[in-house]
Amino acid sequence: MSTHKQSAQDFAILGGAPMWTNPTHVGQLYFPSWERYEEAMRGIFERQYYTNHGPLAQEFEAKLADFFQVKHVIAVTNATLALMMAVKALGLKGRVIVPSFTFIASAQSLTLSGVTPVFCDADPLTYQMSLAHVEKLLEEEPDISAILGVNLWGGSCNPKALDELGARHGVDVYYDSAHAFGCTIDGAPIGHFGRMEIFSFHATKVFSTTEGGCITTNDDTLAAQLRNIRSSYGAGPIVDVPLTSNGRFSEAQAAIGLLNLETFDQAITNNKDSFSLYRSRLRDIPGIALIEPQGVDQSNWQYLVCHIDDAKFGMPRDVLLSVLKAENINARRYFYPGIHRSIPYVHDFPQYIDALPESDKLCASLIQLPIGVLVSAEKIESICGLIADAQRHAVSIVKGMKAAP
Amino acid sequence: MFMKQTVADLASFGGASLFEEIRSTSNLVRPDIEKFLGYSKIFFDQHRYTNDGPLVKLLEQRLAAFHGARHCISFCNGFWALVLTMKCLALPGKMEVVMPSLTYRRMADLAAWAGLTPHYCEVDVGSLAISPEHAAACINSNTALLLGVHPIVNTCDVQGLEELSARSGVPLLFDSVESNYESYRGKKIGGFGRAECFSMHASKLINGFEAGYVTTDDEELAAKLARMRGFGFFGQDNVEVLGMNAKLNEVHAAMALAGLDDLLDQVNRNRVRYRAYQDALADIAGIRLLQFDETEQTSFKTIVIELLPDWKLSRAATLKLLHAEKILARPYYSPALHQKTTSYATIFDALPITEALAERFMLMPCGHFVTEDDVRQTATLMRFLDAHAGEIKSRMP
Repeated sequence: MSTHKQSAQDFAILGGAPMWTNPTHVGQLYFPSWERYEEAMRGIFERQYYTNHGPLAQEFEAKLADFFQVKHVIAVTNATLALMMAVKALGLKGRVIVPSFTFIASAQSLTLSGVTPVFCDADPLTYQMSLAHVEKLLEEEPDISAILGVNLWGGSCNPKALDELGARHGVDVYYDSAHAFGCTIDGAPIGHFGRMEIFSFHATKVFSTTEGGCITTNDDTLAAQLRNIRSSYGAGPIVDVPLTSNGRFSEAQAAIGLLNLETFDQAITNNKDSFSLYRSRLRDIPGIALIEPQGVDQSNWQYLVCHIDDAKFGMPRDVLLSVLKAENINARRYFYPGIHRSIPYVHDFPQYIDALPESDKLCASLIQLPIGVLVSAEKIESICGLIADAQRHAVSIVKGMKAAP
Repeated sequence: MFMKQTVADLASFGGASLFEEIRSTSNLVRPDIEKFLGYSKIFFDQHRYTNDGPLVKLLEQRLAAFHGARHCISFCNGFWALVLTMKCLALPGKMEVVMPSLTYRRMADLAAWAGLTPHYCEVDVGSLAISPEHAAACINSNTALLLGVHPIVNTCDVQGLEELSARSGVPLLFDSVESNYESYRGKKIGGFGRAECFSMHASKLINGFEAGYVTTDDEELAAKLARMRGFGFFGQDNVEVLGMNAKLNEVHAAMALAGLDDLLDQVNRNRVRYRAYQDALADIAGIRLLQFDETEQTSFKTIVIELLPDWKLSRAATLKLLHAEKILARPYYSPALHQKTTSYATIFDALPITEALAERFMLMPCGHFVTEDDVRQTATLMRFLDAHAGEIKSRMP
């Protein structure tokens, strides 16, 4: 693994030539071939059915129901809207437990739907939400109506245990499984836990409809309510719901989803190979530890997240990010800052600021590296070589950066 | 060709339906597939499928120029465009949004998502649009926002509402979902009030599958909306405002761009259809076709008729008869919003004008699937219903 970075001065951050001319972003970015895309779009133009639960949307939901092995799949504009619809369908009031160490949309979906988030901390071993802390909150905090569990990074928060916890305390449990498409627990796909689960089909996810998402549930009543909240025109009977919206899923989204579903196994295989390559190349670099998906028997390997030990690596996490960025590798902090330190929560709920130490540690120490269809094995070799060189020259790089004007 | 000879030939009474395929009131305009694919190639080659991609940027530039507004912000659909704009513009600490009751059936739910309470006002009998005079009477110390909703045909009293907003200090937001192409006193809709919201749902003038946008001259508002639709992010790892995901994807943006390219042609096609209705309905005494104001720029898109006292069948009966013939005519904003029960509070006084108007109007088939001949056949059917109204009534349960 040579990157031609013989000394600190060869790094772009200190004036050397960047290794790449174009940036590499994190994000899966799987998409059908142009030919298949064109064919599917011509089909839509021939049928002249564009949205409102059209034939492709119906086929897509049916195929996904098979995929997830659940009774109902409700395809939605995007996962955040799906999470907001969930609050209304469940009729949640008061406060809902949600982890602070996750993507901010989980909490936003609560606030925008008129319920208050109660933040739980992360588990220091699994990095998933801490079920012990959830239990403590259920015992101590008033007015909790539900738990929004989050399955992070192609792993899980142990939804079996969380479901039991919710049942013991008589509160609804539902899941933000935006990262969990294609993951299995005990041989069965994630998707049947809690009252419902919400998945994301954003372009950066392993399974994409550009924007998009879905809700999975085995509950007939809930499914009917969700379809009415989404506004579906002809998708089942009209039932009473507190509020409707527009969360409709277009035929274009469905067409892309159907095509990506056909090749989904290839995406998983590609991710798994990439993940393995990262694992083997990062293994011997001091101070960087790859986080393996937790709590699943099969992952979708869609997030490559590493823990950086500043002292062992020789430079702080944020310096490493700058070094990589200068070479045109847009690695990311993931997540940063914690939701409890973000607007509006940092102002509205100051009680959480220093109450979630594990979240804060993770926010300060993790990086996400690119993995997906645009990240070749060759590029992964180079990225890992770059990181190894950065570690090797860490002291001089840091010194050089301090000396720079 | 119209084949019905006797009342028994009506589909409601066992005859064959006038049309084999449904004729609806949805625009469902189909842009040029090659144009759509040409735009698609741009995002495809850049691997940019969403998140402020090249086509979303291009679409926003084109729409801002089209409306003569300084800023355009696109959204996943018109619904969330309106909710987020309402949230931004509502006066802090105040709760009520003054809006017409004779309007889009989800408008009250929209307000509820925005955390506001609908306060319904009357519409003007002539325009069917929000009446500034009645709206003024609804404004009180708790009024957060004034929602000027354009009607389906022509525009509302923009000047009257702008004056009311200036006088009362209540911000004015226009729902211009039905008025993308219209002008008001020679100036393009899209440049009035604090902001205007539009939809590009497939049933609207511009078909973006599902899509929406907001135009405004207010730079601060535009910046805030652009953040709110993308989780509140401004730059990486920096959330500046409570947001959500209401982003428009690139495929839908490609569709909207292709629709925008076709717009002039579409308006010409719409005009032909409208002229056919004008011609074919002229001699039916019980029907009044709502006329587009041709002194302004207008899309001629949606066909609305009023059933006058000379029309002997009830609207419900008329709709039932038409539906059986596969003419999917629809009642115009009926029931009115205040006539429906909601899970949240609403505020209104007696709204007799709205209630009377909610019974009288219907939307007739229009859009991409409707030919001039369809229009003539539909009119012939209406004439047939008119001529046999007595017998039809006696045969209907």
